[in-house]
Amino acid sequence: MSISFWEFFIHPVLRAPMWGCILMCLASSLIGVPIFLKKRSLLSESLSHAAYPGVIIGVSLFALLFPSGEEWVSIAVLIGAFISSLLGLKAIEWLEQKGKARSDAALSFVLSVFFGLGIVAASAMQSTLPVWHKQTQMLLFGQAATMSDLHIAIYGAMALLVSAFLFLTFRPLQASLFDRNYSISANLPVALLEKILFWLLLISLIVGIRSVGVVLMSGMVIAPVVAARQFSEKLQTVFILSGFFGALSGLLGNYISVIGSISLSLTLPTGPMIVLAASSIAVLSLLFAPKRGLVFRMLRVYAFRLRCLEENLLKAIWKKETAAFSDLKKDHQVSSMALKYALYRMKKEGWLIDQNKSFSLTDDGLQKGASLVRLHRLWELYLAEKLGVQGEHIHNTAEEMEHILTPEIEARLTDLLSDPTTDPHSQPIPKRRAR
Amino acid sequence: MKYAIEAKNLNVNYGKTSILWDVTFRVPQGKLVGIIGPNGAGKSTLLKAALGLVKPLSGKISILDLPAKEVKTKVAYVPQRKSVDWDFPITAKEVVLMGRYGRLGLFGRLRKADRVAALEALELVGMAPFAHRQISQLSGGQQQRLFIARALVQNADIFLLDEPFAGVDLATEKEIMAILRRQKEAGKTIFIVHHDLPSVEEYFDWVLLLNTRLLGCGPLKEVFSRENLCRAFGKSQLLFDEAAALSAKSVSGIL
Repeated sequence: MSISFWEFFIHPVLRAPMWGCILMCLASSLIGVPIFLKKRSLLSESLSHAAYPGVIIGVSLFALLFPSGEEWVSIAVLIGAFISSLLGLKAIEWLEQKGKARSDAALSFVLSVFFGLGIVAASAMQSTLPVWHKQTQMLLFGQAATMSDLHIAIYGAMALLVSAFLFLTFRPLQASLFDRNYSISANLPVALLEKILFWLLLISLIVGIRSVGVVLMSGMVIAPVVAARQFSEKLQTVFILSGFFGALSGLLGNYISVIGSISLSLTLPTGPMIVLAASSIAVLSLLFAPKRGLVFRMLRVYAFRLRCLEENLLKAIWKKETAAFSDLKKDHQVSSMALKYALYRMKKEGWLIDQNKSFSLTDDGLQKGASLVRLHRLWELYLAEKLGVQGEHIHNTAEEMEHILTPEIEARLTDLLSDPTTDPHSQPIPKRRAR
Repeated sequence: MKYAIEAKNLNVNYGKTSILWDVTFRVPQGKLVGIIGPNGAGKSTLLKAALGLVKPLSGKISILDLPAKEVKTKVAYVPQRKSVDWDFPITAKEVVLMGRYGRLGLFGRLRKADRVAALEALELVGMAPFAHRQISQLSGGQQQRLFIARALVQNADIFLLDEPFAGVDLATEKEIMAILRRQKEAGKTIFIVHHDLPSVEEYFDWVLLLNTRLLGCGPLKEVFSRENLCRAFGKSQLLFDEAAALSAKSVSGIL
């Protein structure tokens, strides 16, 4: 049996899990942004685990009071999860403020104690209420397949609530996340904002448990924003991207899970699939995001090293006027390959003339060499005269800084040292290039 | 006339350590005030107490005769530069606009006037070319200028600056000082937590000398004397610290 992609969104049985997952993930990934920026990522982990004992106890009480009311058990789940998460939050606050515990210690303590309690309660339940126990076990890793259209409405309302809050209070929220003390001093209702934020987080976590589960729910809060932060320096964009990645993870996770069970007869639980999708997006972003991604940062590091090598070569040839390949190889600790490549590039860019393996500089190369030497000696003079640094250290840092100093810093150094002509080793400092 | 800041028997503790101990002073309006004292003397805490960011153990501190909660839009606070995360996704202009949020409240939208004011403030501190830069790409001096611009758009009467010259180049320090002097001439009162003793006489006309206790508060010439400085920074302070520690132990029942 094959299902077209669009049927996932309209088919009476398939649409509820699909829309449910997308909307739930949208809400949690949006609320994740301020939590991540407040550096409170672990909080969502602790709170979702803290919901577990409440779920077990809630369902047990419900089973004892209404033994035949099985279709209403999700109300007991929600109330139980809510109360015990809230207790978890209060316990964390109490430990941090009154107990003077470090924040990470308080969070981990609450996580393990509450989750442990939940497991103890669950195993007690296994023997006394075996049918109901099965219901609660599904909440560990979530179950999307049995969602109904009611869930679309609940998750839709949740997503709308979170979006509306973030949209309407965007600026004060941004201010209080960036500079809390200032925002308080400027009369912004920081305490109120933080309270609403925690409540929304709590609600997102609890309703999310149904589809993703207690264990992995916090991944859904944090992974999308980690990915989004890689791509943008603007908070608006981070919100939009995070929401997009979250919704996409919900879609992909649910899609893969359903396709897997129908076409490949594999049991791929929805919750872990969603979190896996979100984590994959996060990992790919950490690696390949254009500005902050690891791969491109590595490439930029190599490009910078190559530039340093080229500039060092330029300087060496500038001092000697002409240089043979063997001399350059001797003075620079690099492979012949790298050296050849650097020289080839310099020739191509118009800094260098190559006459039978004897290298000299073009007019432009001479100017560039002079300005590099100027930066080097200016920096040496600055260290010696203004900061009182002595000895070998001066030369070494100047070797580095000559590749880094911008024309703006050069101008300020020139002013500060009143346009000097000689460096601390009495070497002449070349004049600034006339432009 | 109202006092810019007035403190009466102000005590602030952190845990069992006394940060400010029975501090009483009055500063009239229209002064450029240097808050001077060694590390850990409670200088930043004094500002935070005035703003209501820390709760005093006992005593009172008021700005323009009002407790912190009621004067907020009239006070511009410049926190220590290191107190925020400069990797936060926000642009220079957005930081300056924050100076107007207090007035707009929770749901207020920015008006044209607010944007114009922010641009003018950026211009004034020489940061207009960097308006759309992400803040992590700014130098320390530029970040500090940004904080000054944010305080300026508040149109406040009182400025409280916490070590605005820490890690800042000399040119920026002089420019910020010139801006603050103009504010003073316009009748504003400016408090600056300051470390560098040699520049005190050049910068301020009123000095508040602090080392947990208040060691002097008054016009520069009266307070900024060698004798007072020795009391603030010198060895005689040690005896006080010992006695205070002893007292804390007795109070908490250790001795």
